[in-house]
Amino acid sequence: MNNNLIQATNLTKVYNKGGEGGGEVYGVRDVSLEIRKGDYVAIMGASGSGKSTLMNILGCLDKPTSGSLKLDGVQVSTLTDEELARVRNRKIGFVFQSFNLLARTNALENVELPLIYSDRTDITRLAREALASVGLSDRVHHTPGELSGGQQQRVAIARALVTDPEIIFADEPTGNLDSRSSLEIMSLLQQLNEKGRTIVLVTHEPDISEHARRIIRIADGRIISDEVNPEPRVAEQEMNALVSKEVSNENK
Amino acid sequence: MAFKGLGRNKLRTFLMMIGIVIGITALTLIVSAGLGAQDRIMERVKKFGLESMMVFAGAGREMGQPTSGQPTTSLKLEDAVAMKQEIKAIADVAPFNQKRQAEVKFQDKSTATTVIGVTPSWAPVWDWDAAEGDFITDEDIASLARVCVIGPTVQKELFGTADPIGEQLRIGNVQFEIKGIMQTKGTSPAGGDMDDRIYIPLSTLMRRVANVDYISAIKIRLTTAKDMEKTAADIKALLRERHKLAAETPDDFTITTPTEVTKMAEKVAGTFNIFLALVAAISLIAGGVVVANIMLISVNERRKEIGLRKALGAQRKDIMLQFLYEATAVTLTGGVIGIVLGAIGAKILEGITQMPTSISWVSVALGVVFSSLVGILAGLQPAKRAAALQPIEALRA
Repeated sequence: MNNNLIQATNLTKVYNKGGEGGGEVYGVRDVSLEIRKGDYVAIMGASGSGKSTLMNILGCLDKPTSGSLKLDGVQVSTLTDEELARVRNRKIGFVFQSFNLLARTNALENVELPLIYSDRTDITRLAREALASVGLSDRVHHTPGELSGGQQQRVAIARALVTDPEIIFADEPTGNLDSRSSLEIMSLLQQLNEKGRTIVLVTHEPDISEHARRIIRIADGRIISDEVNPEPRVAEQEMNALVSKEVSNENK
Repeated sequence: MAFKGLGRNKLRTFLMMIGIVIGITALTLIVSAGLGAQDRIMERVKKFGLESMMVFAGAGREMGQPTSGQPTTSLKLEDAVAMKQEIKAIADVAPFNQKRQAEVKFQDKSTATTVIGVTPSWAPVWDWDAAEGDFITDEDIASLARVCVIGPTVQKELFGTADPIGEQLRIGNVQFEIKGIMQTKGTSPAGGDMDDRIYIPLSTLMRRVANVDYISAIKIRLTTAKDMEKTAADIKALLRERHKLAAETPDDFTITTPTEVTKMAEKVAGTFNIFLALVAAISLIAGGVVVANIMLISVNERRKEIGLRKALGAQRKDIMLQFLYEATAVTLTGGVIGIVLGAIGAKILEGITQMPTSISWVSVALGVVFSSLVGILAGLQPAKRAAALQPIEALRA
């Protein structure tokens, strides 16, 4: 056995264009890659490059048109919808650009959501712990409308963590956030990775991707480069720098 | 969980519920009014008595219908006496004859009313006695007494609020002394005023007023409501024998049992009920369509939520169950609210129209189940479609 959490071979996703003689559009073309346990991978690319499509396939949110995908040693391509739902529930956590929290539902209930679909019974305790781990113990009963963007994304991360998944997929997690909240989120993801959690980050911002230890660049549905990032940015340092700059600005 | 979800989107929940509420309220109200009317008719049938039968002179008579043409003269007082003696199931008989549209005068006031010649058994057989004064007695019969007992309607018309007992009134050319006032009975199954009557001794009517030797009908009280058909057959055989009817000659009398009275009442109620059922069905369908629409819109709106739940590990059955619970909770709650509003509305209607109302829980429950089913089916179909999508397709919606 190898240490690969994800082993993708020749993944291809084709969309049928609607309308007369629409033809086909490739989302992902013939992509093969491996992701080891404990890695922190950024998938970088311009909008429309196929990076989100790739992430959706790797995260079992979408099915490839062809190719094979092994997740934690399990051949995912042959699973039924029910088995896939179980994989998503137990092995994968998602963080979305638009947070995707249930409106008018408090933070605790939002974090409990994946546990409702598991066989766990101590869901409130687990949800509270997850919220504490993202520093939101004091916002448990706030609804998304009562939270800032950064706080909402932290609730979403708590929701992704609460099932203790092998891997977390984050699709443009900072896309809707200001720079300070973005660094908070990036710092949180980095902490999670340091504790051994595998993270796949999708972004179009080079600055954000540089927090990862490995950067895969995508264009036109193909991998154009796959490199180790020798010196990942450390979000916590950047945040401290930002704070001291703000403080010195105020003191001027 | 379902209730929490519903509480979060109050407008949508309210809209879904309102369709059911309107449908069920209308149904409850309409059914209550309809059943109330039917109850009232059955109450009238009970006035006739469930352990009673009627024998009319003449073939093919129906209750409450005036005789057309020549009166049948073959039914005699002796027939009534013989029935009571020979048929065990008969507890008592009340033979009577009547003169319709008889002119009645008191001083300068006059009215046209039905004069009925009765025996004392009228009171126990009809369960209907004098409220004030006395009813006709055996002595009155024996002496062809010129006494009468008047119905409350006659009392009101001729005397107003004055006490009529002891007064003299004229029926045709004969003077009668008023000895009593009857209990109020109200409307007959056929709709006539049973209080617009004057009772006199049967013998007096036959000899002094109408000058006939026959009676028009016999009301019979049975010892039990059972074996009604057999007793009717016995009466028929006895009368045919007494009237010396040949085998091929049709009956010269008509026997009416409560079953037939009920049938007649149902005939009247039937038309009314078809109309009510139609209105109730329309309101239910309208309610169902509203719920179906809102459910359809709501599920399409909620594709994103379905996508998210699937991304977090919800299986298809989890999604279906959620929508099932929600639709059931909404429609049942709406149904209960509708029943309560309908019942309140029925009481208000009762107060305004003086029409009695009566709630049929079976039909109301059927209504709730029906509209719930419509709502649930309407909600489940699109939910099923959304749940079958890949999570990302639903999320993108």
